[in-house]
Amino acid sequence: MEIRYALSHPIALEVALRVQGFTVLLGESGTGKTSLLRALAGLLPAKGEPYAGLEAERRPVGYLPQQFALFPHLKSWQNVAFALGGVHPRNRGRSLEFLAIMGIADLAERYPRELSGGQQQRVALARALAREPQLLLLDEPTSALDVATREEVFGEVLERLRTLGVPTLAASHDPWLAQQADWVAVLDRRGLVQQGSGLEVFAHPANPATARLVGFRNLLPGRVEALDGEMAWVRCGEVRLRAMALPWVRVGWPVVACIRSDEVIVVRPDRLSSLPPQDNILPGRLVSLKPEGLGLRGKFVGALELDLLLPRHVQERLALEVGQTLEVALKPRYLHLMREE
Amino acid sequence: MLEPLLLTVRLAFFTSLILLLIGAPLGWIFARKDFRGKAVLETLLLLPLVLPPVVLGFYLLLLLGKNGPLQQWFGFSLAFTFEGVLLGLVLFNLPFALSNYREAFRGIDPTLLETARTLGAAPSRVWREVILPLAAPGLLSGTLLVFANVFGDFGVVLMIGGSLPGETQVVSIYIYELTQALKLQEANQAALVLVLISFVLMYLIRQLEARWKSVTRLATQSPSR
Repeated sequence: MEIRYALSHPIALEVALRVQGFTVLLGESGTGKTSLLRALAGLLPAKGEPYAGLEAERRPVGYLPQQFALFPHLKSWQNVAFALGGVHPRNRGRSLEFLAIMGIADLAERYPRELSGGQQQRVALARALAREPQLLLLDEPTSALDVATREEVFGEVLERLRTLGVPTLAASHDPWLAQQADWVAVLDRRGLVQQGSGLEVFAHPANPATARLVGFRNLLPGRVEALDGEMAWVRCGEVRLRAMALPWVRVGWPVVACIRSDEVIVVRPDRLSSLPPQDNILPGRLVSLKPEGLGLRGKFVGALELDLLLPRHVQERLALEVGQTLEVALKPRYLHLMREE
Repeated sequence: MLEPLLLTVRLAFFTSLILLLIGAPLGWIFARKDFRGKAVLETLLLLPLVLPPVVLGFYLLLLLGKNGPLQQWFGFSLAFTFEGVLLGLVLFNLPFALSNYREAFRGIDPTLLETARTLGAAPSRVWREVILPLAAPGLLSGTLLVFANVFGDFGVVLMIGGSLPGETQVVSIYIYELTQALKLQEANQAALVLVLISFVLMYLIRQLEARWKSVTRLATQSPSR
């Protein structure tokens, strides 16, 4: 589904984006994600396609706000029946079918206050699906869920949505959610800056702001010194790095080279001599090391300052300690170049 | 005792009914709409809250009495009549009703109303199936508060209506006059009936408020699973 919308209030925004399967609209707070969803639902005035001329109650759209907005005075099945035309016993059977689609038919008689956050979300989704929408809009669907169980809770919901095949647009600033997406669109204060498959956006963000949003912590400003076939030489301070050249790269241009923390490779001392020099090997010192989940996050200081994320098995093999000297490698294929903003 | 009691119940009933019909729409407007002069209008309507009842009664007497503007412009007076007392009680109780109704509407999460529209409900259905059921306990408790308040009123009724048996003599004035006449036994009985009625009404208001809070409580406070 192609969406072309222009809003002027509460934020000026003009976007043309594609919704393909489960699509995540990624952006920081204040970029207009929620406004775009509300405009698509008919709750904010906007121009464009599709549905812009229709009133909210006539749009074939299912809308799920951040806090799910279940009617507190209605039981789960009654909430679903509301979307079927009225809270009436004749709609109970159909309501139970939609609750069953979300795997919660046994919660039909419960009021929202008797449900957990994840259960409320499923009731709200069953209710939105009861409208048989052409497009499902989810506003920050993971923000009201417990962080500890979020992946399990929403992961299952996502599987059910994929089975149903309803095109879904989810506004979020949650990189985890974007990783689950079939298609990712990135919004910043200037508008839509990038859209593509999850892999494309996560591996090749269009600009530094997007890179930060999708989890890059190493953003190294520099200048292109030379081009050599598919490769580019980039001067970052005292270091000259080799990176994959992109078609737009020109000699002399200011760029930002970025690399993910988990793609900065700590070189084993016994393998140092076997690595090719074009792998950007940098000597330096480990100045901090802190546990993060099952791995460790560290800070490397040499000619460049780099953030490292070491899996448990690497640390078990290398037994790194704060203060020790070490070499890291920045493989050119993991070093992504972006235009400086 | 029965006559002043029935008169008070009649006054309380009509005052509550009129205020529900006037106050509920005003409460919705003050809760949800923004317009020029809203603060001034709201202050004006809430003024009786801080004004001594005798002062309000005094001005109403000037307005409704013989030689007052009502008499001069329309040729009739409402002083010392049931209707005059009713008007005074409506004006005096307006702030109580209005602030309760306003809070009843303000307590409804606007996202619920928007979501209801995205679920295919036209505005009339949103009112019928979402707004009124959610506001009902608040509207009812506000109405009961007004009903109970009329039982306690003295100053406004005395200033506008005096103490005409069957017409303007309410229970509180009846008790006052019994006390003045040193009929303390009868005054005590009437006062006890008033205490009993007030207790029942306040208990009902409290129950309704508790129910209202439990229904309108945000539906996302429990931990996610």
